[in-house]
Amino acid sequence: MSESLKRLSRIRFVFFILLFSGGLDLAAQTEISKEYQVKAVFLFNFAQFVEWPTNSFSDAQVPLTIGVLGDDPFGDFLDATVRGEKVGGHPLVVQRFRRVEDVKDCRILFISRSESRQMKRILADLKQQKMLTVSDVESFSESGGVIGFVTVQNKIRFKINLDAGKNANLAFSSKLLRLAEIVGSGKN
Amino acid sequence: MPLRNIPIRRKLMTVSLLTSGAVLLLTCAAFIAYEVITLHKSMVQGYTTRAQIIAANSTAALAFQNEADATDVLAALKTDPHMMAACVYDGTGEIFAKFPANASAGVFPAKPGQSGYRQGHLEIFSPIVQNGRALGTVYIQSDLSALTDRYYAYAWLALGIIVCSIFVAYLISRALQKQISQPIIALAETAKAISKHRDFSVRATKIGDDELGLLTDAFNEMLAEIYKLNLTLELRVHQRTAQLEAANKELEAFSYSVSHDLRAPLRHIDGFVDMLRKDSEQNLSETGRRYLGIISEASKSMGRLIDDLLVFSRMGRSEMRRTTVKMDELVADTIQDMAHEIQGRAIEWNIGKLPEVNGDRAMLKQVWVNLISNAVKYSRNRSPAIIKISCRKNESGELEFSVQDNGAGFDMKYAGKLFGVFQRLHQTEEFEGTGIGLANVLRIIQRHGGRAWAEGKVDAGATIYFTMPASDAN
Repeated sequence: MSESLKRLSRIRFVFFILLFSGGLDLAAQTEISKEYQVKAVFLFNFAQFVEWPTNSFSDAQVPLTIGVLGDDPFGDFLDATVRGEKVGGHPLVVQRFRRVEDVKDCRILFISRSESRQMKRILADLKQQKMLTVSDVESFSESGGVIGFVTVQNKIRFKINLDAGKNANLAFSSKLLRLAEIVGSGKN
Repeated sequence: MPLRNIPIRRKLMTVSLLTSGAVLLLTCAAFIAYEVITLHKSMVQGYTTRAQIIAANSTAALAFQNEADATDVLAALKTDPHMMAACVYDGTGEIFAKFPANASAGVFPAKPGQSGYRQGHLEIFSPIVQNGRALGTVYIQSDLSALTDRYYAYAWLALGIIVCSIFVAYLISRALQKQISQPIIALAETAKAISKHRDFSVRATKIGDDELGLLTDAFNEMLAEIYKLNLTLELRVHQRTAQLEAANKELEAFSYSVSHDLRAPLRHIDGFVDMLRKDSEQNLSETGRRYLGIISEASKSMGRLIDDLLVFSRMGRSEMRRTTVKMDELVADTIQDMAHEIQGRAIEWNIGKLPEVNGDRAMLKQVWVNLISNAVKYSRNRSPAIIKISCRKNESGELEFSVQDNGAGFDMKYAGKLFGVFQRLHQTEEFEGTGIGLANVLRIIQRHGGRAWAEGKVDAGATIYFTMPASDAN
């Protein structure tokens, strides 16, 4: 994985050179998909370090759904990442939603940048649904989202809003919290 | 010094010290061997547990590719002074985080491998697993100074235990060995004292009722027995000697008085025969004169016999006056004294070199007189008679004298009878004599500590030998 990260930064370096020398769509295309490959794996890993309320699954066979709201930046890489994987016995599936009204039965919802303008409304709508909201929109966790991706020194890190997590009845692994920048007190 | 020659005290102590030392050494060796094996196992176990904790704590760091966090987790190892290096490999086997953070990659194995002891350090690999998915591997490397420190501690401990125990064993055995050694030493000292002073009235002190006590009792009983036997033996020897001496004295007194008393009537017979002859020889017939001659001759012969018997009995009783006697002078004197007897005889004297001896001159003279007169007498039918007198030093270092003649000789089967009193091998008519001469010779030689014997052959001469102890001569 560090291999891929190294490669990522190297490619990003190449991309900047290309950008300044006139820019090329193809290289940009590759770059974005590499970044989202990492984010897709992180989405899958969140499933392993976050616990949902025990009564949220009616039985063990119920799939754990990862939803993508808005334009899908992952292509089929997310599907490939979760294919065949299980968390706590629940098989993982990916569902895509165009509108927030369609979102249903998700454990993890990734909100695409395409939805950044109406983020406030989306978060308000989803307040009743106990789910882990994730997005790479700027200040996502500060505005009430649970986990927001940030890029620090060319590395992908994340912030966790403990108040939002508590509202959604989520329990974060201490190991996950150690890696994250914490937003909110968690005391609400 | 070999063990069997050292005193019993030290032997007992050496034995107990060696035994306890060997037992201690074996015990310590077994203990240390067990500890070493256990230590190796527990060290692997301890470091495996530590690696597993690191692995459990690094799952999120690996899952979210956070090297800084993984490095933080590894940094917790710095509290262990024996920790040399540690690292986290990611799922592809590449090094993801290191401890110490600035360690060079050369310190770590290129790929995760097997746990175990290698080249002075312990390596532990532990997989990092999250929900059944292998995320990577933790590697930790510890030096073995923890082990070697413990080995030194064990060695010093064992040394201390052995030294202390041997010291205690020494004190105990020094106190306890007396139980065994004291009775034995007491016995040995008693035995030594007895053999030195010949005092069988001493008794060994009994100390306990064990086998050594039995031995002491038996020893004392034997001593008592020896003491008793010795006393009775001495008493019996005294009694017997006294009896023998009394009997001997009685016998000698008897024979002396008999011989002495016989001389008086004999002198009367001889005297009155002489007077009868002077007084009335002419009145007697020829037969009467012959009878008178026979009586006179018989009484003279009996007188000689009595004289010889007196000499013989005196030989046994008289004190010896030892001086240095020159044998060659003695022999020459003897022959000179016999000049009258050998007048007109053709005798070839063959006298060798004779030494000086220590003895009673008068008695030795008697020996030579007897031997030489015998030689002269029994060779009277030879012309010339050859008499050879010589001396040599024999195998036992004694002086061996011999008188050899070429006379009548004797049959060797009577050689033993030759030295008996009144034992004669020839008729009186053939060779006169009382048969007491050689008995006297034997008696004198025996009183000087020598031996006498004879060799001979009928009509081929005889040789009489006698020996004198050489020591006090030359």
